[in-house]
Amino acid sequence: MALTDAADVEATLRAVLADVLGLDPVRVARFDEATELFGALPEFDSLAVAGLLTELEERLGILIEDHEVDAEMMASFGSLLTFARAKSLR
Amino acid sequence: MSASAQIYEQYSGAKGPEWLLRIGDPAAAPILFVPPLFEEMNRTRALIVATMRALAAGGHCCWLPDLTGTGESLAALCDATWEDWRHDVTAAARHVASSGGSPAIAAVRGGCLLDDAAEGASRWRFAPVPGASLARDLDRASLGGGAEWAGYHDASAALRQALAAATPAGVAPLRTLRLATDAGAADGKVEGPALWRRSEPGNSAELAAALARDITDWRQTCAAS
Repeated sequence: MALTDAADVEATLRAVLADVLGLDPVRVARFDEATELFGALPEFDSLAVAGLLTELEERLGILIEDHEVDAEMMASFGSLLTFARAKSLR
Repeated sequence: MSASAQIYEQYSGAKGPEWLLRIGDPAAAPILFVPPLFEEMNRTRALIVATMRALAAGGHCCWLPDLTGTGESLAALCDATWEDWRHDVTAAARHVASSGGSPAIAAVRGGCLLDDAAEGASRWRFAPVPGASLARDLDRASLGGGAEWAGYHDASAALRQALAAATPAGVAPLRTLRLATDAGAADGKVEGPALWRRSEPGNSAELAAALARDITDWRQTCAAS
């Protein structure tokens, strides 16, 4: 079930970040493209990476290959959103 | 004895005696929980026990087994096999049946891959998942610089392969419940956090209450049919 709408993908990404990292959805709603995530948010540690990727796969109906995953892709809300949109909107 | 008293019983596990946590009066309607696997078990333990307490307060008796090589098992995880875990679920159901009659089976996440090994009156699954997804999740635990297999590097290659090949079995009567955020097929959806994804174990009193309500309704439906 791939999503086709860019706004849907963004809303899904915010929901996954709130759920997996246990963050307040109000706080996640304020994230913008420059908001730093992996390595900057204490909740976003190595243990959270697998859960985040798998939850994104399940909710966006996509498959993420391990070689596509690096610190840069998860560095900011903007980079993660760009990745999620590229994977799900095609 | 209050309905929420916690008692440890023993059942005959594949490699020796294993613990079962019991909450409730053993004369009450029995429910056997089949726990999630590996790291998800730790992340959901508080939720499952809170659900068991709510069910006990509503007139049920709940059991939650340790599987071979997990929890407080004396066996080492490196020696545990998939067949051991299926044996354990069968044996735990027999243990429950010997004191309270054929139990309803309630399985969570990876436990849904094992619940068909139990003889039960009915089955209820929460957020079932193919074993391949769990295996990939564990494979990925090292991607962000974390420990191999989320620290379960002792798990044998055979156990990893069996997990990756496992899918929830077709059983009846069955009710499948999922989170509202989960697009998978389900008989019902419930609002709440995906606690099994969290890097820190958490709990949700609201979700535990909702799960207990859903199990209670399903039991009544099965009993009436």
